[in-house]
Amino acid sequence: MTRVLVVDDHPMWREGVARDLTEAGYEVIAAVGEGRQALRIGRSLEPDVVVLDLQLGDMSGVDVIRGLLATHADMRVLMLSASAEHQDVLEAVKAGALGYLVKTAGRDEFLEAVRRTAEGDAVFTAGLAGLVLGEYRRLAAAPATTDDTPRLTERETEVLRLVAKGLSYRQIAERLVLSHRTVQNHVQNTLRKLQLHNRAELVRYVIERGLEAD
Amino acid sequence: MPDTVVCVPVGLEVVLWRAVAVFRFAALAYAVVLLLTHYPSYHRVWLAWTTIGVMALWTTASAVLYGDPGRRGWPLLVADMVVTVGCLLTTTWVVPREELGYGAHTLPMAWVAGAVLAWAIHGGRRWGAIGALIVGAADLLMRGQVNTVTLNGTVLLLLAGMVVGYLVRRALDAEERLQRAVELEAATRERERLARGIHDSVLQALALISRRAERIGGETLELGRLASSREAGRIAGEVTELGRLAAEQSEALRALVSVQPPPLAKGMVDLRESLGALAAPHVSLAFPAQAVLLRDDMATEVTSAAAAALDNVRVHCGPSARAWVLVEDEGTTVTVTIRDDGPGMPDGRLEEAARAGRLGVQQSMRGRMRDSGGQATITSRPGEGTEVELKVPRA
Repeated sequence: MTRVLVVDDHPMWREGVARDLTEAGYEVIAAVGEGRQALRIGRSLEPDVVVLDLQLGDMSGVDVIRGLLATHADMRVLMLSASAEHQDVLEAVKAGALGYLVKTAGRDEFLEAVRRTAEGDAVFTAGLAGLVLGEYRRLAAAPATTDDTPRLTERETEVLRLVAKGLSYRQIAERLVLSHRTVQNHVQNTLRKLQLHNRAELVRYVIERGLEAD
Repeated sequence: MPDTVVCVPVGLEVVLWRAVAVFRFAALAYAVVLLLTHYPSYHRVWLAWTTIGVMALWTTASAVLYGDPGRRGWPLLVADMVVTVGCLLTTTWVVPREELGYGAHTLPMAWVAGAVLAWAIHGGRRWGAIGALIVGAADLLMRGQVNTVTLNGTVLLLLAGMVVGYLVRRALDAEERLQRAVELEAATRERERLARGIHDSVLQALALISRRAERIGGETLELGRLASSREAGRIAGEVTELGRLAAEQSEALRALVSVQPPPLAKGMVDLRESLGALAAPHVSLAFPAQAVLLRDDMATEVTSAAAAALDNVRVHCGPSARAWVLVEDEGTTVTVTIRDDGPGMPDGRLEEAARAGRLGVQQSMRGRMRDSGGQATITSRPGEGTEVELKVPRA
């Protein structure tokens, strides 16, 4: 049974999500409202999936993701947010969240997203694909591009654009004459490259700061 | 409700009227000094003292009357001028006529400027000048001759009236602009506070209602089918409709309270902001995280074309058709793609329709794009929906 931790500072929403998950056959190990609680419980109970609201009262959802993945790198996080704060969503994905869903998504869409997150698949909505596409373009256009600046292959760009235009993986596979699995891999790759780059940047930043401090 | 601190700042106008009152008192004191030093040469000293008495009364009365914003108006200003000119003209019976012709000072002396300043403050440059001319005319009439010495006072009054009138207008305008800016800032802050509150509670509750309704509606429908109950079917329909309404309201509210972006370079618009107005339950928007800046006229054209494309989706594919809007910033060009999951059209259908003189929407869309130096491409295949691609160069 997939064990899920629900983190949301809105009590009514938290209960609703937990109920939906329980009814769909998931084990909700805890439903908490604060980032600190989420970190503590997440580390000790090690859920398979964390359903996380981006806006929490005490700390940002992005920091919760960083905190959880620092000790449990394989934890699968699905983000929810009431509105599409573009920069926050992008930061969360770069920090290692597997997927993102707006809260206006229907119940079925939500359960499908949790199922895919549990399997380790990226949950790419059209909105998220647009953000990731934009981030690669920003990195490519930035003056300080180096060899390790992540780039998309032509195929990946093609796939990501189709996701951003709302096509399902099945439709994309049909249109590009690829297997469903290949499409999924392409999408996953775009995310992984960003996350790797983000981690490398963080390390470089820490080292530079460390050297300056000496 | 939090306590409201009512803060009434002392406006510039209040300060100006106080300054005029102070000026009148000072000028009155000077007039008294002049009378004390010159009275041996005057006729009718009693009349001189009576005039000083009237001036003193009016100085006090005007200080009080002008201090009340409700009374500052033409009746008071005209009365002020009448008293002033009257006090000035009594000089005729006090100061010997030949001395006046040589430029001797009048009884009220500088005190007459009080009325001119009042006219300037109230009416601006033009009325300041008119007030100065009235007093000046009375002065010259009384002196009986116009020469450089007698004209001096009138010229000074005229200058004072005009300069003060002009400066006061400018200062009051500036004060008003500042006031408006402060109000706008307060309104923006309040809006942001409300937006945060609504984001945290109302939007989430609405989203929850819409989800619950969708679910209950589905279950009721299922129950109704099992029990073949028409009533259950009706309830299911209503609940689903409620859910749809909640979703619609949350979108509308979101657009309404979206926090204002920081001001951009003049004439530039963040395309994400203008396209954001097109958000609807069946429309999904995909934007980059950074602002997509476009000249405002271009952004308007692109937004109108995108809105036309979405309208087209509704008209041709029904209200339940979904649509996606993707914005891509490629540096030298900006691409906006609008795709729907409607039935699509077979190849050549567009050209055929254009030949038959139909498809006004597509044509206007293409026209709009051509006008702003871009292009619109429409592709469609049966079963795969229709895709409209709008490309604009960043000039």
